[in-house]
Amino acid sequence: MKSKIDALVRENPMRIEIARFRRRFLGFGGTGLNNAILALVLLCYTGLVMIVVQVRGDLPPVAIVLFQTGLFCFFGPAMLHGAIAGERERRSWDLLLVAPITKAQIVAGKFMGALAALGIGAAAMALPTVLAAISYSKTTFYDLVLAEGVSLSFCTLVCAWTIFLSARAKRPFMALGATIGTLALGLLVFPTLFLSLAGGDRLTGEMLTYVNPFAALAILMESGSHAVTNSSEYGNLIPANLYGIPHILIYLGLTIAFLIYAEKTLHFPENEIKFIPQHSTE
Amino acid sequence: MLEVKNLRKEYGGLTAVKGVSFSLQPGDIFGFIGSNGAGKTTTIRMISTLLEPTSGTAILNGADVRKDPMSVRRMIGYMPDFFGLYDDVKVWEYLDFFAAIYEVPVRERAAIIDNVLELTDLTVKKDAFVQSLSRGMQQRLCLARCLVHDPALLLLDEPASGLDPRARSELKELIVELGRMGKIVIVSSHILPELADFCNTVGIIERGEMLAFGEVDKIVRDLHPTRALEARVLRDAAVAAEVVAKLPGVLNAAAKADALRIEFNGDPEAQAEVARALVQGGHGLLAFREEQADLEDVFLKLTTGAVN
Repeated sequence: MKSKIDALVRENPMRIEIARFRRRFLGFGGTGLNNAILALVLLCYTGLVMIVVQVRGDLPPVAIVLFQTGLFCFFGPAMLHGAIAGERERRSWDLLLVAPITKAQIVAGKFMGALAALGIGAAAMALPTVLAAISYSKTTFYDLVLAEGVSLSFCTLVCAWTIFLSARAKRPFMALGATIGTLALGLLVFPTLFLSLAGGDRLTGEMLTYVNPFAALAILMESGSHAVTNSSEYGNLIPANLYGIPHILIYLGLTIAFLIYAEKTLHFPENEIKFIPQHSTE
Repeated sequence: MLEVKNLRKEYGGLTAVKGVSFSLQPGDIFGFIGSNGAGKTTTIRMISTLLEPTSGTAILNGADVRKDPMSVRRMIGYMPDFFGLYDDVKVWEYLDFFAAIYEVPVRERAAIIDNVLELTDLTVKKDAFVQSLSRGMQQRLCLARCLVHDPALLLLDEPASGLDPRARSELKELIVELGRMGKIVIVSSHILPELADFCNTVGIIERGEMLAFGEVDKIVRDLHPTRALEARVLRDAAVAAEVVAKLPGVLNAAAKADALRIEFNGDPEAQAEVARALVQGGHGLLAFREEQADLEDVFLKLTTGAVN
């Protein structure tokens, strides 16, 4: 078991992906477009920190966590849509497939690269969140940790979902479109449709918060502002003090499931032939 | 040693490779010749473990591509016809990445990377980003990548495509050097004269069938048992043709203006006798040469240009 984990994490040569992600998305010196986007992001980040300082005391820190989740929903797919489809398109895929490396190592390497970028993003967002939390007394530390947990676990799910779609798609832009499309469907269209069909039924609404992290974060934010005074506002399915933990577990479980399934789908090495039966290439 | 045994690949109703067999020894440089769609790339992909054969197999130093693909992968260096490189890595990082994949010990990697960069003449580009390299340099880098784990077999699918003449010549020298190092090299190419220059063995494939396999000279001799000699004389070409036609080894001699075309199947001594007869006959021999049948002639004679 230990050696398997070592092979996937510590001794995985695909860890080079971490350096590639860092260089591509977090360092000046790349293409002009990358530099411009990075400069814009830094500008927006400075603006965010200044706003948080300006409105200290009035801004719930969970609101920043909510904002962070929204950002990662875009940045995750933007960074990862080419993870495997890009290799396929630029024809570097065959070179990996003929090397003595397992498909699990490839997927784990790509995911580690994304996690490193996610970690740096989360660390950057921690500053405004902490600044807001210091001056906003209504949110407990426990709620804030749960909110961060919900946000980051959902972001890992978005990364795993993007890798999964990238493993299935032939072109990176197909993967990007599919990821953004399914996120929009899952987070906006489907809940709205479902709620309207269910006629605003409370249990249905509560179930939907397990799918939609924004709804869960909104509830955590409300609870911090004391607008929610009894546990029933958290829902009836779980105790109030555990709210958020099932979300984290569900998102992490789905992350693992999608990563495993992504690994299982990496079986069409011929660039011109999209789907070769698995037995013929294993 | 590489043994390819009755390798066959079917895609639905299409048979891309129909039972190809051959064997190669260390140091062999094998030129794999065929038109587009003949089955070269499919065969190479099966040997490289990218595609599983429908039937048949290939065995490299005892490891079977079907039963033990991971062992085969550790012993091969594969350069596809089209390939991509990573954008955001430096040349040495790219090689280090593949050295890590091929489980080259960490303490040996730096020296190995320096060696393969020197071999492929890329030392000065060690710290350059791979996307900044020219096409020829990228081709050499891909070859360097194939070499980091000291493979026993190199599979080079159209390695010279898109290269300028100088880069092509350098690549050719490199492949010859790799053969001298005792590696088995399989090169597929359309540029037949180039292959004839440095391959000691060739195979001609069409519609998935191996039409000829063996040493270049032997294949040429087998397909052209008679040779053609050409001579130019100052006078009496018709008379000269009559004289020459009676000599041993001469099958036919015809004169056209001042030129003689002689069909010949004799030994070198008999060939020298033909030249001597033309000189001593007082015909004023201006030129005398043997028309060389080459790989291109053999290829054109054997193949029809049909594809699957």
